[in-house]
Amino acid sequence: MAESSRCAVFDPREAPPSAPHLDSRTDYMLSEGDRSPPGTLRVGFTLNGHPASIDVEPNVVLLDALRDRFSLTGTHKGCDHGQCGACTVHLDGRAVNACLILAASVDGARVTTIEGLAASHEGEGLHPLQRAFHQCDAYQCGYCTSGQIMSAAALIDDERVPSDDASVREAMSGNICRCGAYKNILRAIRTARAELGVDRA
Amino acid sequence: MRNFSYQAVERVDSAVARHTEFATSAFLAGGTTLIDLIKLDVMRPEQVVDVNRLPLKRIDLLDDGRIRIGALVSNTELAHHPLIRARHPLLSAALLSGASTQLRNMATTAGNLMQRTRCAYFRDPTVPECNKREPGSGCAALTGINRLHAVLGTSEHCVATHPSDMCVALAAIEGAVEVEGPAGKREVALLDFHLLPGDTPEREHALEADELITSVVLAPHLDSAGAHYLKLRDRASYEFALASCGVILALDGQRIGQVRIALGGVATKPWRAFEAEASLVGVVPGRESFEQAARLALAHARALEHNAFKLPLARQAIVRALETALDDAQGGMSPPARSDTGAGSPAGDSP
Amino acid sequence: MTVEALNQRTARIDGELKVSGGADYAGDHQLPGMLHGYPVVSPVASGRLERLDFDAAMGAPGVVEIIHGGNFPRLNRSPDSMAEENKVGEVRLPFEDDQIHYHGQYLALVVADSFEHARAAARLVSIEFSCAPAVAGLSSAGEGREVDDEAVTLGEPARALAAAEVRIDAEYRIATEAHAVMETHATLASWQDDRLTVYESTQGVVFHRNALAQVFAMAPEQVEVIAHYIGSGFGSKLFMWPHSVITCAAARLLGRPVRTVLPRQWNFANTGHRPASLQRVRLGADRDGKLQAILHDALNETSPVEAYSDSCASATPSMYACDHVAVTQRIAEVNHGTPTSMRAPGEASGNFALETALDELAVELGVCPVELRRRNFTVRDPASGLPWSSNHLLECFDDAAGRFGWERRDPTPRSMRDGHELIGYGMATQSWSAMRKHCTARASFLADGRLSIATGTQDIGTGTYTIVAQTASQLSGVPLDRVEVKLGDSQLPAGPLSGGSMATASTLPAVAGAVREAIATLQRLSIGEGGRFEDAAPSALEFRDGRLWHGDESASVAELLQTLERGSVDAVVSTAPGDEQKRASFRSFGAVFVEVRWDPGISRLRVARVVSTIDGGRMINPLTAHNQLEGGVVMGLGMALFERLEYERDGRLHNHNFADYIVPVHADMPEIELVTLDYPDLAFNEFGARGVGEIGLTGVGAAVSNAVFHATGKRIRELPIRLEALLEE
Repeated sequence: MAESSRCAVFDPREAPPSAPHLDSRTDYMLSEGDRSPPGTLRVGFTLNGHPASIDVEPNVVLLDALRDRFSLTGTHKGCDHGQCGACTVHLDGRAVNACLILAASVDGARVTTIEGLAASHEGEGLHPLQRAFHQCDAYQCGYCTSGQIMSAAALIDDERVPSDDASVREAMSGNICRCGAYKNILRAIRTARAELGVDRA
Repeated sequence: MRNFSYQAVERVDSAVARHTEFATSAFLAGGTTLIDLIKLDVMRPEQVVDVNRLPLKRIDLLDDGRIRIGALVSNTELAHHPLIRARHPLLSAALLSGASTQLRNMATTAGNLMQRTRCAYFRDPTVPECNKREPGSGCAALTGINRLHAVLGTSEHCVATHPSDMCVALAAIEGAVEVEGPAGKREVALLDFHLLPGDTPEREHALEADELITSVVLAPHLDSAGAHYLKLRDRASYEFALASCGVILALDGQRIGQVRIALGGVATKPWRAFEAEASLVGVVPGRESFEQAARLALAHARALEHNAFKLPLARQAIVRALETALDDAQGGMSPPARSDTGAGSPAGDSP
Repeated sequence: MTVEALNQRTARIDGELKVSGGADYAGDHQLPGMLHGYPVVSPVASGRLERLDFDAAMGAPGVVEIIHGGNFPRLNRSPDSMAEENKVGEVRLPFEDDQIHYHGQYLALVVADSFEHARAAARLVSIEFSCAPAVAGLSSAGEGREVDDEAVTLGEPARALAAAEVRIDAEYRIATEAHAVMETHATLASWQDDRLTVYESTQGVVFHRNALAQVFAMAPEQVEVIAHYIGSGFGSKLFMWPHSVITCAAARLLGRPVRTVLPRQWNFANTGHRPASLQRVRLGADRDGKLQAILHDALNETSPVEAYSDSCASATPSMYACDHVAVTQRIAEVNHGTPTSMRAPGEASGNFALETALDELAVELGVCPVELRRRNFTVRDPASGLPWSSNHLLECFDDAAGRFGWERRDPTPRSMRDGHELIGYGMATQSWSAMRKHCTARASFLADGRLSIATGTQDIGTGTYTIVAQTASQLSGVPLDRVEVKLGDSQLPAGPLSGGSMATASTLPAVAGAVREAIATLQRLSIGEGGRFEDAAPSALEFRDGRLWHGDESASVAELLQTLERGSVDAVVSTAPGDEQKRASFRSFGAVFVEVRWDPGISRLRVARVVSTIDGGRMINPLTAHNQLEGGVVMGLGMALFERLEYERDGRLHNHNFADYIVPVHADMPEIELVTLDYPDLAFNEFGARGVGEIGLTGVGAAVSNAVFHATGKRIRELPIRLEALLEE
């Protein structure tokens, strides 16, 4: 079986230029004619439903790539070590910490951020969870909110996790809210669940 | 976070071959340990070999009742797999007590085996003394803030705790780790996989250079056994254990037929309390025999300045886990994962 | 007025931005040509910097420059004045000398073309230093020095204590706590000729602007500080820290914008913390529990570079009816980063000591802890001698006790059990002073009919955007969705810090004044030449429902402006506290009740229920107010059970990450019932609001420790209460 070769060799003497800054939120593609600078890999993936590509050095982390290269700053950096959940995004539908994922490794994957959540859901406007967070005041400063919502969205879709309060609290414990809006976050999840009709015993 | 060369591979043999090309090479699976430690500058691989595309994501029931788990099966998939829930509820419970939803989604079976210690002195390269990081440099934890450190399996060179919950369950279940390296395939017994620190704390496991874990094979489950995983910690979730205990207990009439007791949070490797187990076999279970077993399990424990509480705490964990596993065994077959991880909501059961 | 916008559970006007990732925090901004800063800090707590070797780092990919003592410009220290609004977290300028005062002190800033390049190169800087003995913590810091102007003596406390029938004398300790804000501090600085623009995560754009202007010897008008959204502050972002100065200097030196987002571990080390404290409380009482004397002596840590006092006992003279009170405050230098205000600064710590001591007195007397507090209720503030403007503490006791089911409490420790668990009930009084500062606001009627409000305060997550809109809507009749609110920019009319629970009481009167003035101006213009109601009598006009009425005739704001051929009608109004401060004392009170469950078989302590009833004046928005108060309870639970910055014997910070500095998570949540009594404090301001940012946290530590005593029989006088303090075998 032939193996596709995806590699970048790090040479500390060569400094690849910074990637071009992209402003449009739907055009995430580099031109096919462009050649990847030395020391970088071309990574192609689906970002919020759109094809995306980027040239990255191996030590670029998905979180920083989303924020700095794609200007998707709704995903926040809290701890940068998988200890707070602020950077939670969906990778092929699963909630993950974007701070511990190499951008190089998402080649071919599907990445959804808070900016793409509403569009990933059938129906108009905001995702029901986003509406519920707003109505229930399920935040204060808002910094952890994207991560809370992305975790909650994955949780609601995960039929293996029961929907009683204790199970939801446990499943959501990877998302720290220092403002302490936990009670309203739980209420928002209940509210959205009811709207979506996905209560599970 | 220093830079490194990156290789994504699709076959086991090429993963191994690539790994041999650099003196310091690291396999990347879930990344929850590796990327964390590269960011901290504790691990400085010249090359990262991304193995996530290898076909090692299956869970299969073998003819002899053993279960083979692919190295890349995520902690979440493993915990929720019907076979695991039905036959090894202890493993399911231990997995679900660890880390967070997101980390469990990322972390893999092999990666969890290879998890590094949470010792703060190991994790901070500006601390000169760490025999695990720099062999021969000393151990800052011996005289430092060692509340979270081990009391079992320690040496004068290292007192770092093995952090995994999954591995505690595996230690109780037993089985083998299947690996592939430059010299071909081989098997390592699960109980032999993690090494005591001794005077080589930098050696944490039985893998040879460039070997890759391809799967974990679980021993057949015990019939009619009860099981319980109890994890004690400061907060209710998203925290490593101060002490944890996994018990599998099968009755033979009114007496204990077989029992396995494994400990986490208190030892330098996933710990089996064999003496304690032996004291219970053939015994009519009860509080006294459980307390005696707990004393035996900690008999050789050595406390440091700030972690003496772990001895009584681990004993308490053992007694309560035994009691709950006994209830489970008496209640019949081991149904969905039973666990007590401190995560239960305290609300709602007020008087 | 038909719009009822106040006292409504209004969903936040900025909510849709927050739930969709659109709210812009400091670190979200990028500018063309922007460079990235990454700090290099001291790995030790005490000593001298001998040499920095940049050879390897300068040769690394993408590195543009390394900022350090050798190339750092000469700057000025800020005068560090609260009154002049240029107070800073640390007055020492970065790289000012070679002394190392604490672990995490800045030694250099690597500036590169990408975040990854800056971070990788920072690892290559080699640091040579010599170590000096460190004062590792409060326990080895000695007695420190007294903060003279904080001592208060009422009556003859020593004599009264000696004469008291019953005495309590105990010491209380609280560990160093971190704000642990979710968004680390961040600065994006850019210079255009002699103007400086800074995106900063700050609780005070005006203070930050003033401080930078002082440091860089500029006029305040030359500096603009922007903070549209802030990932919480809790006090750590009130005053400027050195990263901002370094980043601004780097941007000037390099002629390009520079952004520094603090790595989490250094955010724990060098942006303030609640200082560790050691407090002694002595109480004297008669047999009926009437307090005869209160003596409260506090000591808190400070850093070698700043004399920070937490004023732990400052509220003590105001809490209870007692004629003989003495409080003192001392500070002692340790080799830690500089402390700063943290949510309910001082009072949260002092409250733990005083309210635990009262519980000890209640046990000693055999009196119900609630009854003891009732018997010592005071109708005036003993500290000032003035009556309370509005004080419903007794109703808080009744309300919270009733909801909690306090009557079910058997006072005997270890007497209440449920299965494996021992149950403990405990309570404490909650309190926070009410303060108000000056504020200027601008109200503008716009040509499209919208009403725009601008003031240079900021919304740190408390809901300021929303209550400003509610107030403007209430006073103008303009619907909420037609009110625009601009905050978080120092170019706007100067507003207050978001801290000390004073933003609401300070800001809303100015907003109201500006709206009224804008309406008056609109009316005046509309009866003037070329106006819609030219020559109408002023008394015949009424502004109602967002329209100007003259008899049955009316015109919208848009029509009025069109007639006037104006793009807007603006009014700027400043307000400040008045002489009400001479007539009354202003303070919020509350009562918090806690149920803990202790499983002695596995040494597990959990808080199961919290009920808190707060008398905080009028709630402008009960939805956001309750959220804040509940958040205070959650942080109080962290203080009670988990939070503790740990320092090595050599003063190094040990647990500077979110895995080892643990804060409450979802699974720790008890059932929380939060009630606010709705008594407007109209003597304080026309809206009757006193602010709710701090009070929710106060009392929680003591209520938990008192409940733990009830459950276990063990009196724990140190926070956090960890399981090894309770473990029984």
